[in-house]
Amino acid sequence: MNFTLSEEHIALRDNARAFLSKEVRLDPYLKPEANEQPVARDGLWDEIRKLGWTGIVIPEAYGGLGLTYIDLVMIVGETGRTLAPSALFGTLAGAWAVERCGSEEQKQSLLPQVAAGELSLALAVADPNGDVNGLSHGATASKAGDGWTISGEKSFVVEAADADKIVVMVDVEGTPGFFIVDAKAQGLAMERLDWRDITRHVSRISFKDVPAERLPQADGDSWSWIRDRLYLILAAESAAGAEQVLDDAVAYAKERIAFGRPIGSYQSIKHDLAEVAGGNECATAGVQYAAWALSEGTADASKAAAIAQSYASEQYRAATACNIQVFGAIGFTWEMRNHLYYKRARANAELLGTPRDQREQIMRILESEHKHAA
Amino acid sequence: MDFNLPADDDPRRLEVRKWLEAHPNVTYEELAQKGYTVPHWPAPWGLSADPETQLIIEQEIKRAGITHPHTLNPIGVNQCGQSLLVYGTEEMQQKFLPPALACRDIWCMLFSEPSSGSDLGGLRTSARLEGDHYIINGQKIWNSNAHISQVGVVIARTDPTVPKHRGLTVFLIDMKDPGVEVRPILDMSGHAPEFNEVFLTDVRVPVSNRLGEEGQGWRIVLEQLQTERMGMVKPGAVWGFGPTARELVSGLIETRKINDPLVRDEAAKLYVEGELLRLLADRNLSNRINGNPPGLEANLGKMIASPHGQRLSDLAKRTEGIAGMLRDEDELPLPKQDYGLFNSWDYCYWFGPAGTIGIGTTEILKNTVAERILGLPRDIDPSAKLPFSEIGRPQLAA
Repeated sequence: MNFTLSEEHIALRDNARAFLSKEVRLDPYLKPEANEQPVARDGLWDEIRKLGWTGIVIPEAYGGLGLTYIDLVMIVGETGRTLAPSALFGTLAGAWAVERCGSEEQKQSLLPQVAAGELSLALAVADPNGDVNGLSHGATASKAGDGWTISGEKSFVVEAADADKIVVMVDVEGTPGFFIVDAKAQGLAMERLDWRDITRHVSRISFKDVPAERLPQADGDSWSWIRDRLYLILAAESAAGAEQVLDDAVAYAKERIAFGRPIGSYQSIKHDLAEVAGGNECATAGVQYAAWALSEGTADASKAAAIAQSYASEQYRAATACNIQVFGAIGFTWEMRNHLYYKRARANAELLGTPRDQREQIMRILESEHKHAA
Repeated sequence: MDFNLPADDDPRRLEVRKWLEAHPNVTYEELAQKGYTVPHWPAPWGLSADPETQLIIEQEIKRAGITHPHTLNPIGVNQCGQSLLVYGTEEMQQKFLPPALACRDIWCMLFSEPSSGSDLGGLRTSARLEGDHYIINGQKIWNSNAHISQVGVVIARTDPTVPKHRGLTVFLIDMKDPGVEVRPILDMSGHAPEFNEVFLTDVRVPVSNRLGEEGQGWRIVLEQLQTERMGMVKPGAVWGFGPTARELVSGLIETRKINDPLVRDEAAKLYVEGELLRLLADRNLSNRINGNPPGLEANLGKMIASPHGQRLSDLAKRTEGIAGMLRDEDELPLPKQDYGLFNSWDYCYWFGPAGTIGIGTTEILKNTVAERILGLPRDIDPSAKLPFSEIGRPQLAA
């Protein structure tokens, strides 16, 4: 038993932090033009792929590093801390769908390419009405000869614009099924959404008889398996982002003078920041536990992931709101990065269902545990 | 990182279990002699056990149905006893520790005063050296267990000519001294008094009962409070003790109150927070395992845990409706287990306001977190640098 990070984990995190603090440039997002026109991506994604981050948790048998989810959150946390604009989230999401639902042959062919940074993926889950359970028929798959085609619409797809292939979740006879399509396929049209959180690319995709390859191992538990992992990386982003906005607010409160003293010497400010610090500790603890539980495949892993996501996303929102309040009016301007975090926090609390949805999942688990204990 | 607890067949566990089974009527004396009372202390008191072994021993004592010595005598066994290892003389250790660990001598803390709670450093109880004794005068308050204690740990002012935090010294006093008068305080819960006020009139204390040097008192009591707060980083309803959100949810499911959508989400939020508090407590334990001394994380933990506990008993009480106003009756069922002192939602609720006041108010803890962890500027205290005797306030007790 050891409930703290090892030196290796800390080194991994610190290396990622050092790399990203050098490579991530948010300035283009803080220019007035960024309000009018999407900011073109720089070379960061290429650099990230060269570092092998896409293959961290891909099993060694499929060309990955086969590391644990604890290792993964060390790195994903740092991408959240810096709002690193890249296709990492989408590629991890797509790779998990392939790992969970793909045939052996599909895994052998796709995952090594992802691990080598040669293949970028995205996972299309939400229907245009925002439903993320895959059962509201935004898109449907139909048999076409030996294969399948997909028609309909998916929306709120993260990082589809950079993806070479897209994994699509659709209802197949009442169960979420997973299919993979070429991002450039005939009949597929991608429209970039005017998404508030501009450090992320989010798209709507329409499909018209798009040839699709089925991932045949999908079953009734596939989506929750994938979703738990997405909860984990969103929560890791949120927890580390919350730390960053706290650091920023603390630094500003030490510097900014009002009534002859740094504003950070007033208890009203100190106490708000202390409360954020407390919540951040809880969020980070929840992320690390969920990462361990998912790595070990413990019985409570799903609950742990829902706990991490529900808490971290709400804490991120609280931390970013406090951050802007401490900065005062300057924190409300486009040219400051505070709003980028505020928007990411908002998005992270909605992308995979609301914190309340996750708490409902937790409550159902507790009710079923209670029933079994009785 | 590894959240697995020591297994049920861990050889260290089996050894402890075997010994406890061989001693079905074990006394606290024997438990202390075996080293199980404070296994993390060095010999001859403990086994220099790592925190993992300490946890195992604690779990096995609980499993054997024994009330743990640190529940019976928390100040002697936990908060203050261990200060003697660092600051106490050999003679002092030999005199005070054996009866404390055997729970023959119950200890109490005599820190707060009527005019010095959060600003403890401004305390007015005085200790004057006369020959080989100190003469202590003053009034202490909010002293748990003082009415059943044999030993009191007092902080008093030995030098009023230096700034307030520098002139303080800690003493161990005999609570049976004729100059010690203990009066119980009935608190708002109406339960058997938990607190006392203690009047000290010309209490004579031999110099050999001074803990550490003159002027070291502030540092010693801060360490003791830190240790005490560390024990409160837990998800229970009052100071980390008593029922947790797990039991709350269980009761709400049992009574189907969980089906109210507002109650349901509020309970789920509390459950999430409670589980995260468990993780903070685990992490603090691991920090000890890894050899890091107890630090400021206890302040942060208690800052979160105490209001969390209040919200628990508040939701429990609210779901009871008007019936919740009846004294001592829990309408919401509580799963059967040993909750210690705070063993009903009713008591937790009416005792609840103390949670964010005692052992550091939430405001003081937030200051500590902001100043010591986040590095924000210290609060302005015009009295901090003045010699105590020049602070514009009532003078020392005679």
